[in-house]
Amino acid sequence: MKRAQTLLVSVLLAVSALGASTQATLAYPAHVWSSSDAFSLRCLGFTDTYPQQLYSIATSQMRALGYSPVGGALGAGFTRSAFLDNVFPDYGVYVHSHGDNYWAASGYPNVDSAFLQDPGTSRCADYTQDAVRSTAIKTATGGGPFNLVIMSTCKLGSSSSSMPNGFQIAKVKNATRREFYLGYVYSTYDSAALRFEQAFWSYLNGDSVHRRTAYQAFTYAVGIGGYEAVDGSNPFQPNWWGNPNYNGTPG
Amino acid sequence: MSGNKFTSLIKVLLTGSAVVLGLALSAGQLTAASMTTGASDPDRVSQPGISVTALYADSSPDVFARAKAARDALGFPVGTKRSGRHVQDGGRKAAYDEVSEVDSAGRPLALTQFDGTGRLLAAIRFDSPSTLASKGTPDAAARTAQRGLIASGVPASGQPEIDADSIAGGWNVHWDRTQGGYRVRGDETRVHVRQDGRIQSVARVQHDLAPAPARTVDRSTATTSVSRQLHTWFAGKESVAGVVGMDLEWVQPNAAFDAGKLGTTPGPYRLAWVANFKPSGPAAQSVSLITLYVDAEDGTVIGGDVVE
Repeated sequence: MKRAQTLLVSVLLAVSALGASTQATLAYPAHVWSSSDAFSLRCLGFTDTYPQQLYSIATSQMRALGYSPVGGALGAGFTRSAFLDNVFPDYGVYVHSHGDNYWAASGYPNVDSAFLQDPGTSRCADYTQDAVRSTAIKTATGGGPFNLVIMSTCKLGSSSSSMPNGFQIAKVKNATRREFYLGYVYSTYDSAALRFEQAFWSYLNGDSVHRRTAYQAFTYAVGIGGYEAVDGSNPFQPNWWGNPNYNGTPG
Repeated sequence: MSGNKFTSLIKVLLTGSAVVLGLALSAGQLTAASMTTGASDPDRVSQPGISVTALYADSSPDVFARAKAARDALGFPVGTKRSGRHVQDGGRKAAYDEVSEVDSAGRPLALTQFDGTGRLLAAIRFDSPSTLASKGTPDAAARTAQRGLIASGVPASGQPEIDADSIAGGWNVHWDRTQGGYRVRGDETRVHVRQDGRIQSVARVQHDLAPAPARTVDRSTATTSVSRQLHTWFAGKESVAGVVGMDLEWVQPNAAFDAGKLGTTPGPYRLAWVANFKPSGPAAQSVSLITLYVDAEDGTVIGGDVVE
């Protein structure tokens, strides 16, 4: 199956390369979503600028890796239905929002992790209305594979997170499929996430022929230090699962 | 065909269709959105805010000599070749010379970075420790870290903090920077010692500081500034915020609450009252902590941070 997939894509790419200058732009869709209305003047009294910064970087860097088209939204377009309706064909997914490991409908001790959709321009965030659950994502993705999934939220990189399963990514560090999931273990300052993700992307895309792996980019970003922790119970701690030899490119 | 394989096939067909559509678009000379594409130069970095200039051993022998010395001092792997570059890094707001050890295929094994004065900023190896390695002890990790710092010329004095790394394994040994008795937010010297006893990374983060203010606003004045700011933010809303702590620290002014400052070059770190407060009510649904920087000299808000 994997061979057939590779062959089909290779043939189509080769054919399209004959005269196409934009063929690659439509080959491997990804979506970048960032909630901003929950962090707006209207809801908080000030406008938190980190969602915009993280969204802009993730969008440009997904493209630099070869994902195309890169859709998604900053703000009101980031709804649960937009996410779930568009996730199936994606090869890459990035979400910046509030995230947590909530109890599943079946109750304790089962977890059904979620992030919150953007609440839109007429109200503020409300978990009961805005949660996008990993089980709903699991259904929407239909068991299909994903290459690069980044949850730029609190807690969705913790060992109890069920979010990787929504994208069929096992919580192991020796996967052989081309997959990499990145998240944060604890509550995380936005400034720390921004510094980390800037470093992650800059290292990963620092070699345009993509010989660097996502694991190496993770190691680099952790290694530069300088991250502010929220408190003693919430050290800055990113985490990953997937294939340590995968370079982050789609396909 | 299993469900997984079926959806994989659907995904491939969608991709293939998209490629064919791309061919049709381009063959028809239709204009698609401009996209970033790969360049043939492997040293090219596509992230905005980063610019790179190649360095070569014959024209920058001092950089490569420093890199070799640090590599050997830290016991890092030796590549079949080395590549160098000078980086202006907008994300880290730093400029540095970087030398990478790479294998015969150009894959990175380790790197070292040095600031303009030739002092080590970061050193990172990219291989994984053996999973069979013993865990070691915090004291052994601290000794390893100190030996590595001395050997690579990085100053570190006083007792470090030692934290077990629950994700990577091993230990994080770090010296948090203070100046004039006040913590410098985020600045540190940090060594990650792997469970096999080898050093995985060294980081020295040290930002420029503005001169200490001749006179600082006192806690009560700063508290008034914070209260005034909170009242401005939360007036008329159902949310309120309770201050959970306030201390003097050196901070970098930022654009956290002021989009007008995005893209501007931040000045040096300034001494500020750092106030943490937790919102309650509707705001707590999306934000668990807000941190406010109040300039210690004039009492104005100069930035902050958010935990969403």
